[in-house]
Amino acid sequence: MPTRSSTVHPTAKSIASYVKKNAKRVKRAQKRRHQSSESVREADYRGHHIVVRTHYEIEVDGRAVMGHMGVSNDGQVHYHPVPNLSFASAVDLVKQLIDIFPDDFGSRAHRRHRMQHRASRRHTHI
Amino acid sequence: MAITRPNILTDALARKKYADGVNLLKREFTGPTTKNLGISGPSRPVSTYDLFVVWHHTAMTTLTPPTQGDRNAAHRGPVFCPWHRFMLRQLELNLQRVLNDNAFGLPYWDWAADGQKTARQQKKSSIWASDAMGGSGNPVKTGPFKLNSADPKSFRIRIEADVNGNLVQRSHGLRRAIGTTVSTLPTKADTTAVLTFRPYDVAPWDTTSSGFRNGVEGWASPVGPALHNRVHVWVGGDMLPSSSPNDPVFFMNHCNVDRIWEAWLTKYGRNYVPLQSAPTFLKGHRINDLMSSLVSAAMRPADVLDMRSIYVYDSLSV
Repeated sequence: MPTRSSTVHPTAKSIASYVKKNAKRVKRAQKRRHQSSESVREADYRGHHIVVRTHYEIEVDGRAVMGHMGVSNDGQVHYHPVPNLSFASAVDLVKQLIDIFPDDFGSRAHRRHRMQHRASRRHTHI
Repeated sequence: MAITRPNILTDALARKKYADGVNLLKREFTGPTTKNLGISGPSRPVSTYDLFVVWHHTAMTTLTPPTQGDRNAAHRGPVFCPWHRFMLRQLELNLQRVLNDNAFGLPYWDWAADGQKTARQQKKSSIWASDAMGGSGNPVKTGPFKLNSADPKSFRIRIEADVNGNLVQRSHGLRRAIGTTVSTLPTKADTTAVLTFRPYDVAPWDTTSSGFRNGVEGWASPVGPALHNRVHVWVGGDMLPSSSPNDPVFFMNHCNVDRIWEAWLTKYGRNYVPLQSAPTFLKGHRINDLMSSLVSAAMRPADVLDMRSIYVYDSLSV
């Protein structure tokens, strides 16, 4: 049965008021970062209880990738910030992340500059 | 009287109104700021349209329950169909408001009709024309959502998810990479097949389930993303991250998914599982659980099972 929410037109005031009320949940979702991801899969088989824990730590160019990576019961790997894809290989997944988030990985020239900068800092400290 | 949701490919007026309405919502600021929503960087007003981007991302990053890593408050579980129906209706109400047209019905994109064409023809479908959604590119250079960098009011991506799953502030044109990651859309054979899937959903209530919901969401195929998922992946660009409502095509895709669900409900009866008596680990997905909300009061799956007094589709032939 449709309710008021599906029939009454919102107003600028009602939108602002609901967003204020729900903002805490949005902020909470913003604070989830994972230096590493653990996925727990459980199943029962012939009276035995199976628990499989999978642990991922991902780095690209030395920087940690901190979204949550999970494994579903069929072994497919998925990454929460990319909701419509799953992969047989975690490496293939990370390759795809580099394509999907170009702003977070920078251009090849930018990366080269960063690597050179890092190398020169190491040289200075020797 | 119920409004009618039309096919965007056959209704030029609906196409124009949708684009106009989206651009109006993109320029409407009702008070919320990035600071209010915990988005890092300088505090800037968030448009009504962008609040839908924030809402989708928030629901998607809310795991249900938090102790597992698959289901979230809008995807990969039973609530997928009702939550998106709730979201579509809120957008439709807002479009009606800014268009000052209470008879406006959200148009759907029958992507499986385009899926009947060759891969090359699919990329040239009339939905990607200048008078519809515009084309592919980084940024998109045609249509109502193209970037005009000299115009501060031009359509821009202002908030998006980054690789770590956080919302961040940006300023770039809409990006699409049509037909790049997968070369073809779902077909009529796919939509016809999913209508035979029963029940609506089934244990383990996730991406390995065998019911209708998992089929239409697009996890049930052994050969990669299918149906709803495949459309996101085929369009590519801003349709890929959890901030995918950034591309107005998002709502056309989901309106078609909603139409397929409506065809299923018409065929098999307006039933939904899990019922409220299901275990608490399914909280957020049960028939009377409150669904994730941002711009309005929350709704429950039970509230959206029969919307025929509010809207109908011009066709349920999927």
